[in-house]
Amino acid sequence: MSRAQALPDPAAVGYPSFKLILVGDGGTGKTTFVKRHITGEFEKRYEPTIGVEVRPLDFHTSRGKVRFCCWDTAGQEKFGGLRDGYYIHGHCAIIMFDVTSRLTYKNVPTWHKDICRVCDNIPIVLCGNKVDMKNRQVKAKMVTFHRKKNLQYYEISAKSNYNFEKPFLYLARKLTGDMNLRFVEELALLPADVTIDLIAQQKIETEIAAAAAMPLPDEDEDGLMD
Amino acid sequence: MADPAEHREEEEEAAAAAAGEDEDTGAQVAPIVKLEEVAVTTGEEDEEVLLDMKSKLYRFDKEGNQWKERGTGTVKLLKHKETGKVRLVMRQAKTLKICANHLVATTTKMQEHAGSDKSCVWHALDFADGELKEEMFAIRFGSVENCKKFREMVEEIAEQQGKNEEKENEEVSSTAGLVEKLSVTETKKEENAEKEETPAEEDKKDAKE
Repeated sequence: MSRAQALPDPAAVGYPSFKLILVGDGGTGKTTFVKRHITGEFEKRYEPTIGVEVRPLDFHTSRGKVRFCCWDTAGQEKFGGLRDGYYIHGHCAIIMFDVTSRLTYKNVPTWHKDICRVCDNIPIVLCGNKVDMKNRQVKAKMVTFHRKKNLQYYEISAKSNYNFEKPFLYLARKLTGDMNLRFVEELALLPADVTIDLIAQQKIETEIAAAAAMPLPDEDEDGLMD
Repeated sequence: MADPAEHREEEEEAAAAAAGEDEDTGAQVAPIVKLEEVAVTTGEEDEEVLLDMKSKLYRFDKEGNQWKERGTGTVKLLKHKETGKVRLVMRQAKTLKICANHLVATTTKMQEHAGSDKSCVWHALDFADGELKEEMFAIRFGSVENCKKFREMVEEIAEQQGKNEEKENEEVSSTAGLVEKLSVTETKKEENAEKEETPAEEDKKDAKE
């Protein structure tokens, strides 16, 4: 079976859909990275992924809309580990490690072997996450695995959004064969004009007053617009 | 002696990182889909930009009773050239996904956030996902001045929308003096256009500075 035939049925969503395998040690930020893209949230609390969670992630590109079905996997063996079934028909992959933890980089070759056992010649991005942190252990020049195995490498931060679009942009370019492909504006439909009645308005004002007193996340941090 | 060595090391690291980002070290893979290039339609083609600023947007999660980030990017106030309606559109930087998309209604009221004078809070019927959904938003700017500019413009627009609606009601209910009212409306719209153009120009100057 050719890889082209392995594509999920485009009719299901009306545009190309790619299976993306997301692996790496537990706690490296795989789930946080994907959620950052999907909802915009940054989840500080660590909650290990059990088994696998498949999250659809859409992008609008200069070649139309594309979807990555992100197979966000358990990085900790005790939460299910990985089965070949997670990898089957994978079109692309991201291997994530944490630059504040040498062990997570040391384990990258193992994750890479697992992918290559099942997936032949798919584009793979290696990501060094948490580059916003001060206590960095794996420096940029220490990262050499990608050159030996023909992976692309990006330093990223799911927290600061540094380079957070690049892994997906790279993979979209490789899968379409257009290295000039770029992300473009999603169509902003004109909102419907609806009026809110007086009673609802009063309730809203009460809720707004309460919400306005709640602190914003990362409120003390500076350099928001860097 | 340690300092120059460390400095050189840092420079090398920066250079290595930069090279890594520009360089394609990935394997040659055959593309698996063939997609034609498409013309980009933003949905903003019929609108005039009144304000365009970098900011960070939050939505209030009622279930968790906490604010959660929605996106970091640029917030725009856009006035439709035909209807005169104004909406707020915010897009995430880099991916250009929509974080917020709602009309500035007469009922839109900007409220200070208790903890920060660079932030404000409001309620909206948001259309970001293609369906109307009630949201409470908070937005944070890089400076107090920008927050003030945004807040004042939204409040001015909301007030103006209210006046426009009142006029529309009068016109609907009254046939007498219709011509006179239309002429008054046109004059005021021109005045509004002149006033609203100024902030846009100021924003452009700010952008250049």
